[in-house]
Amino acid sequence: MSTLDVLLQQVVNGLALGMMYALLALGFTMVYGIIELINFAHFSVFMTGTFVGLVVLSLMGVTATSQSLTGLALVGVLIALFLVTMAVTGLLGVLIERVCLRSLRNVSGTAPMITTIGVAFILINAMLLIWGPQAQRFPQLLPNWRWALGGAEVTFKQLVLFVVGLLLMIALSHLVRRTTLGKAMRATAQDADAARMMGIDVDRVIVLTFFLGSALAGAGSLFFGLYYGFTGYYIGYTTGLRAFTSAVLGGIGSIPGAVLGGLFIGLTQSLGGQLLGVKWTDVIIFSILITVMVFRPSGLLGARTPQKT
Amino acid sequence: MGALAGRLGERLGLARWRALPIGRRRQILAPVLLAIGLAFPFMTSNAGNVDAAANAYTYVLLALGLNIVVGFAGLLDLGYAAFFAIGAYGYGIVASGQLKPEWSSLWAPLEWAGQVSRLAVPGQPEIVQFHFSFWPMLAISAIICAIFGMLFGAPTLRLRGDYLAIVTLGFGEIVPVVARNWEGLTNGAQGLGGIHTPKLFGFDFGFSPYPYYFLGLGLVAAAVWVSIRLQESRLGRAWMAIREDELAAGAMGVNHVHYKLLAFAMGAAVGGLGGTFYVAKLTTATPDMFTFPVSVMVLVMVVLGGLGSIRGVVLAALFLAFLQSVILQELTEYVHALGRLVGSDFLQRVELITSLELIFGLILVVMMIFRREGLWPAVRRVSALTLEQQAAAPARGAAVELSWARPAPGAAAGRPLLEIESLRKSFGGVTAADDITLTVHAGELVSVIGPNGSGKTTLFNLITGLIAPEAGSIRLEGVEIGGRPSHEIVARGVARTFQNIRLFNNLSVLENLLVGEHTRLQAGVLGAIFRPPRVREEEERAVKSALEVVEIFGNRLRPRLDHPAYGLSYANRRRTEIGRAIMTRPKLLLLDEPAAGMNPAETLELMDLIRSLRGFGVTVVLIEHKLDVVMDISDRVIVLDHGVKIAEGAPAQVRGDERVIEAYLGRRRRAA
Repeated sequence: MSTLDVLLQQVVNGLALGMMYALLALGFTMVYGIIELINFAHFSVFMTGTFVGLVVLSLMGVTATSQSLTGLALVGVLIALFLVTMAVTGLLGVLIERVCLRSLRNVSGTAPMITTIGVAFILINAMLLIWGPQAQRFPQLLPNWRWALGGAEVTFKQLVLFVVGLLLMIALSHLVRRTTLGKAMRATAQDADAARMMGIDVDRVIVLTFFLGSALAGAGSLFFGLYYGFTGYYIGYTTGLRAFTSAVLGGIGSIPGAVLGGLFIGLTQSLGGQLLGVKWTDVIIFSILITVMVFRPSGLLGARTPQKT
Repeated sequence: MGALAGRLGERLGLARWRALPIGRRRQILAPVLLAIGLAFPFMTSNAGNVDAAANAYTYVLLALGLNIVVGFAGLLDLGYAAFFAIGAYGYGIVASGQLKPEWSSLWAPLEWAGQVSRLAVPGQPEIVQFHFSFWPMLAISAIICAIFGMLFGAPTLRLRGDYLAIVTLGFGEIVPVVARNWEGLTNGAQGLGGIHTPKLFGFDFGFSPYPYYFLGLGLVAAAVWVSIRLQESRLGRAWMAIREDELAAGAMGVNHVHYKLLAFAMGAAVGGLGGTFYVAKLTTATPDMFTFPVSVMVLVMVVLGGLGSIRGVVLAALFLAFLQSVILQELTEYVHALGRLVGSDFLQRVELITSLELIFGLILVVMMIFRREGLWPAVRRVSALTLEQQAAAPARGAAVELSWARPAPGAAAGRPLLEIESLRKSFGGVTAADDITLTVHAGELVSVIGPNGSGKTTLFNLITGLIAPEAGSIRLEGVEIGGRPSHEIVARGVARTFQNIRLFNNLSVLENLLVGEHTRLQAGVLGAIFRPPRVREEEERAVKSALEVVEIFGNRLRPRLDHPAYGLSYANRRRTEIGRAIMTRPKLLLLDEPAAGMNPAETLELMDLIRSLRGFGVTVVLIEHKLDVVMDISDRVIVLDHGVKIAEGAPAQVRGDERVIEAYLGRRRRAA
């Protein structure tokens, strides 16, 4: 492979990865947009999602040692897997909001964020207790098809990730722009009190936002499992922070920004890893995070500044 | 149960203890606690306990350091373990065989100081062997960490709350990654090994836990002492003011850049001490010792004890360390025994220590939901006012005097104090100050009136440096102050109050007032810690000055000096805010709607007070909507409308002005 082909290959890989970060970043951005909370628990919901996926698959009789499926069986299993996992992680998000965050909604300062750190630790260690410290193999459902793209190649896995991610984002964008719920969400994000006076059930909007954000994290977690073929209690933190960087980079609170940021971070990871060595990936990404925070806190597409006064 | 505890407390003289002044209590408690600490190793025969206690002291150090940053200054640092790491590697690298540079004469001074030695390798150039002494490195690590604290803190200065936390978390992630990847310096993932143990007068600390225990105890005692001294100094008050309300702190003369960096530096330095102590005891350092869970663990200690509460933080850190090293392990053995008894394989394999982080998570969530102030909070409870005090008729001291009062202007009257020329500021499409020119003379009482949105508060914000003008000049006694930072303007003699009262809510009335004195005091870090006579006198003067200012309000604030500001009535909040502004010894005092929300009697009392301020040589500019009040007390009235000065003159003159009536009531329809 020539250098150009290697770079092309890394672009393809980066875009597929970026889809996963984008899905996760959407959850951060939606919650922040509505209640101005940086939700650390989101990392761990994502991580929990991979284990939910494992359970769902084993209930359907698919384990790490099974043959990869094809045809209608594959489509059916995938649809069931995504629907159930997203529903479960969505409900987990709702549970976190109801039990831990609702009573803190009007508390100013960093208390709600500290709470979400606590929730993250609880979930991470609950999974550690249940599944143990070792990595779990995630079933490789998708057949190992690949196509040449110039000198690089695209795998079926990457294609599925990209297409499913795109579909979910189109659905989300439709929901936010075209439906009554979306209008209620946008109104709540602008001014929760005014929205309440206009008859919007703000509690319901917030719960639904947590549901949608966490469901997208669930989808992202399946992307992780299918792409890397393993999971473990520790995967949420690093991936989550990268996704968070995506959200900040795109402009936290901005939905298109989260997608753009996710793709950018995906590309940074694959190209940066190629050029500077994988071990420096996190330094690059956190440097981006700090730089954006300091010089352009509103991100690439965000309008509001995150300075609270 | 409660009654029983109460009776027990009575028996033990708890009430009498509580009645003692805080300084006296400390004089008694400090030797007792120190004696218990010193006696502990002799009370246990198990060296493991002493070792665990020495480790616990490391956590206490870290928690005290983080408490300076998060508890005092309110800057949530999620990457605090970075300083633990820097302190650890700072000593570890120069006290182990990690670096072996070639010998050159540059090393000679260090060789002379006994910190390095030459090692001859057959057939190769001589190399340098590092064996830096522990004691100077303890100080050097603290200084290095303080520098890194400022470096990591600097980018966060403009950010608040959540965002600051994220940036610190980013640095907290980068440091262990660098430690893992910079193998030449840190030996990578394997970490440093064979770090030298401290020596004192020829005595090698070695691997016995006892010397480390006593060293740890000494470091903790020093950190507690420094924390208390800092908290109760000009620095501590400045930090807490920033924590409570950064903008108001600036308007009282606190330079937030300076004090935030100082908090980061002090917190980091204590973390660095902890790191150096810990690796000297452990003799190894690996990158895994300093990851995010460590930062969170230290945060849990601070949150559990109570943000800003020194005693709470120390106890919580000791408790969590004890939980980790003793309680969970003992419990595990009980659970295993139970498992053998009931024949449960699962119970026999349970390791509760692996649930430590689960417990941390639960503590964070439960504390945040149910008890955010911590188990042993910093704010002391105050006794309620007696009925007599509550029902006392308002009384004003007949002849109040301020020791710093300037001569009331007689001859000086007419000298321009504040000169504003062609001042302009717009927000988006709205011009809030449009070519404003005005002069305030020393000793005058000027009111600024105008309909809502006419730019009155913007004018105050421009004068006090909260916003910068686009054009024009603002001169105080001939010196340009336009666009200068607020703390500088305060120091030059301009103070203000806010339309929507901005007190430091969790500070007492007295502390609020003392923050106002900030620019008139000088104590720095060393002064605050060692409190030499100069600083002690300065503090006494400040308190005396605060008591004088309180007298201006008669018996309104006097019985409430120790009450937290959040518990005050509306009128007393206004009074405290005005008092705080007077504490800055202003030449020019800007009052933004001081009578808003006050009843007629309170308003009259306030007007008396404002008049009396002139007696201290303070020039007052007032924004007020109660026009009867304005017309009554002002020498001169300035009317703004849509950012333009539309009238200026004596009250009677302004009252009849056609344009003023138009601005307030609308244009009169004219007959064609």
